[in-house]
Amino acid sequence: MNPAFSRLAGSLAAAAWLTTGCGSTSVNTLEPAEPTAQRAMVSDQRVLADRSLASSVRVVGVNTATDAAGFLKVQLETYNPSRKRKLFTYRVEWFDAQGMVINLPTATSIPMSLEARETKFITATAPTPQAKDFRFRFLEPVN
Amino acid sequence: MKTRFLGLPLLAALLGAGCSGPKTTYVDPGSSRLVTTTEGINIQDFSQAADTMVNSLIDQLVNPGALRSGAPNQPALLAISRIQNNTGQQLETDLLVRKIRVALLRTGKVQTSTTIAFGGPEDPLAAEELANNQFFNDRPTRRPDYTLSGKIIEDRTRAGNVRQSAYIFQLALTDVREGVAVWEDEKTIVKQGSRPTVGF
Repeated sequence: MNPAFSRLAGSLAAAAWLTTGCGSTSVNTLEPAEPTAQRAMVSDQRVLADRSLASSVRVVGVNTATDAAGFLKVQLETYNPSRKRKLFTYRVEWFDAQGMVINLPTATSIPMSLEARETKFITATAPTPQAKDFRFRFLEPVN
Repeated sequence: MKTRFLGLPLLAALLGAGCSGPKTTYVDPGSSRLVTTTEGINIQDFSQAADTMVNSLIDQLVNPGALRSGAPNQPALLAISRIQNNTGQQLETDLLVRKIRVALLRTGKVQTSTTIAFGGPEDPLAAEELANNQFFNDRPTRRPDYTLSGKIIEDRTRAGNVRQSAYIFQLALTDVREGVAVWEDEKTIVKQGSRPTVGF
């Protein structure tokens, strides 16, 4: 290969890498090595139609809790392993014991962003004690 | 060979038809396809704020069983107090409050009075009937256990081409027996855009 051409290609690659680095910020985190809280993790079932979104917004774990009055609480731990900030929306659907969806006027798509290498928790509380199951829907910003 | 040439325009026409949508269409109000602007509070902002407030109320008061009712075996009674609009826009605060009321009613732990409210009864006929009922049957009126009050604040800023609008929703639930706020929360919605209209 022509040495001048390889130098030019190398410079272009470095410039591209630097440009990508300028627009994004990565997150450093710190937490106890042995956490006190014990999370009740639940196994989940996933349908990944948007691979690009799934690769940038990874659901690391799902845990649930139920308090005295019987309202189910769900917590999702999400992580962005990529080197770019990711914008997305999520929406929670709740189902009763018969599997029927519970409709509410507050049900909406919630916008969220994850910086590069950032971990964030999404929490949701069931609207009624009758809500026994849930489904999270993730979507790229449309507009 | 001829069929291949005929196929290309046909394919292009099909693709074109598939891409061009109707000019006006119905949109699911809970979807992420709604128009978002930095110039005001959009309908999805009210939904987000209401959702956060309801989750917070359930987490901090309803779920731990901290709500008290003046009537035995009855849900707590809530009255709507002043929701102050401190933004530069004319807002219908019921877009926030009604969603919260509906969601709280569905919990089965809270009911809202339509005869006692800041600025007069929401349902004047019901208030009149209630007054008649009390007068003729000598029944004591059930007073609200809690009042809901709040404020909506706006903060706008601009740096270069980037416009930022922040809307702060503040709500408080006061126990009327003691006059103490037993729950308070704040939800801030921040939108940025280089034009008045941005999407998210």
